[in-house]
Amino acid sequence: MKKYRFLEKFIFISLSLPVTALILCFLWILVSIGVEGVKSLSWKFLITSVMDGGIFESIVGTLYMLGGAVTIATPIGVATAVYLAEYAKGGKIARIIIQAIHNIAGIPSIIFGLFGYTFFCTFLGFGISLLSGWLTLACMILPIIVSGSYEAISMVPLSFKKAAIALGASKLRVIRDVVIPTAAPGIATSIILGISRVAGETAAILFTSCVYLTNGLPSNPLQPVMTLTYNLFGMLVATPRDSLGDAFAMALVLLMIVIVLNTFAYFMRIYYRRRWNI
Amino acid sequence: MGIISNPPSLLNIIDFMKKKGAIIEIVLAIVSLSSVLILILIVVFVFNEALPALLFLGPRLILGGKWAPYYEEYGALPLILGSLLVVLGSALIAVPLGVLSAIFLTEYLPRSLGEPLRSIIELLGTIPSIIYGFLGMIFIAPVISNLFEVPLGKTALTGSIVLSIMIVPTIVSISSEVIASVPKEYKMAALALGATKWQCIKSVILPTAMPGIFASILLALGRAIGETIAVLMVCGCVPIIPSPPWNYLSPVHTLTSAIALDMGEVAIGSLHYHVLFGLGVILMLITFTVNTIADILLKKAPRSVIRV
Repeated sequence: MKKYRFLEKFIFISLSLPVTALILCFLWILVSIGVEGVKSLSWKFLITSVMDGGIFESIVGTLYMLGGAVTIATPIGVATAVYLAEYAKGGKIARIIIQAIHNIAGIPSIIFGLFGYTFFCTFLGFGISLLSGWLTLACMILPIIVSGSYEAISMVPLSFKKAAIALGASKLRVIRDVVIPTAAPGIATSIILGISRVAGETAAILFTSCVYLTNGLPSNPLQPVMTLTYNLFGMLVATPRDSLGDAFAMALVLLMIVIVLNTFAYFMRIYYRRRWNI
Repeated sequence: MGIISNPPSLLNIIDFMKKKGAIIEIVLAIVSLSSVLILILIVVFVFNEALPALLFLGPRLILGGKWAPYYEEYGALPLILGSLLVVLGSALIAVPLGVLSAIFLTEYLPRSLGEPLRSIIELLGTIPSIIYGFLGMIFIAPVISNLFEVPLGKTALTGSIVLSIMIVPTIVSISSEVIASVPKEYKMAALALGATKWQCIKSVILPTAMPGIFASILLALGRAIGETIAVLMVCGCVPIIPSPPWNYLSPVHTLTSAIALDMGEVAIGSLHYHVLFGLGVILMLITFTVNTIADILLKKAPRSVIRV
């Protein structure tokens, strides 16, 4: 008996080590980038043009990029989720669509870059532009939005729908006035996760929509753009590193965007699960 | 008779509503099928651009041992081996770390503590790869360089370490979902027979959850093979077959980083350009195989884990 008790304690302690290591690793990333980044981060750095050593164009470029990609992917993603959850339940078409979504989710981002380059930039003639980037990234985040929205829509209690139907609402009205408003927080969460993925993406936009050192902001979607990720990549890989301070500051901005978005999504999901007692 | 007769106008409205509903359903179906279309377009367009290289080089593309695009040597073997080396290395670190963490989070911690900790670990997976590459370059490469006395410190080992942190969240997240989905009755039966907690985990929970855990590992590997930017920044990008092939202290080049590095400066339509798409096809085949096996395994999970 004593032997077992000792063994159990030993196992408990040794199993707690990997978790501790991972949590420490996360904290280390935060601290190492935070400490160095804060030193060279200032309002002036954020609003000064890239030409003068700031990152203004990169920040606005990232906002342009995620705004466009999400605007394209959201309607398609939510419509797909509604169709899968409310119309095609488990049918043959639904299975094909789900399989396709799975496979898209598994494709590496560099392949999206290759695809965007041949299809959007060359075949459709959009060139290396913001528009090509939007479309490429919209394809990439589609699975995130579909699966998040699908989960949210399937969580809507059946009693809500029955009540609406009993009042004489048509299926369309039930979806529009009951299902989607109830699932809205979950759908919003999936959109936020999509935004965070776009904000941190480099490989897919490397040769579809970015140029190093732009002349100001793009004035229309057919012009190339510069994003935070690409700016950082260029700074670290293409040019010899003279000032790492700027790189740390940029990494900190990027890290903050991603962590704030994901934490927000996490709490929204918790709120959501509590509400339906899951 | 005649007292309650539907006025024709109402019938028309119901008819109209039915038609409207049908139209909406068709529109939704068409929009939903766009994901199928996207998948087909990706496969067709990448494959189409790769075709000239596949036809011209044939098996030499995969078996050729020398990658030197500027001397028109397009053997992808060093790249494939480089990718495999880095991915296997990362798996050796990430699998024990991830699976043990998943067991601890779900079986040993109360849910109120396990869930938040799991979410923090999942946050590791959302950090952009460029930041991992940056940290690997600035902090890990110098350590490797000093420890093993390799110049620059950009080696397969550096890549494996960085990559392992990136893929651990996938293993933790899916494994703990699978472990949590093992029916309570199994556990209770084992405990009622007098098994200790660890005996119960070892001989009841883990065997039941094993297919799902394997699936999580495969999904993580699929992600690792496709990882580009971080690997590009820390692996050194030297297209050689390390000698011996398992030498982790040698710099390596990978499929993904070759595509990312060369795509920017390649002449469109040249053989080199088509070869890069050929690398893309190889990469897609690998990830597709890995993900498909993972999907099949996940379906064997005790209660089907919700994944769309």
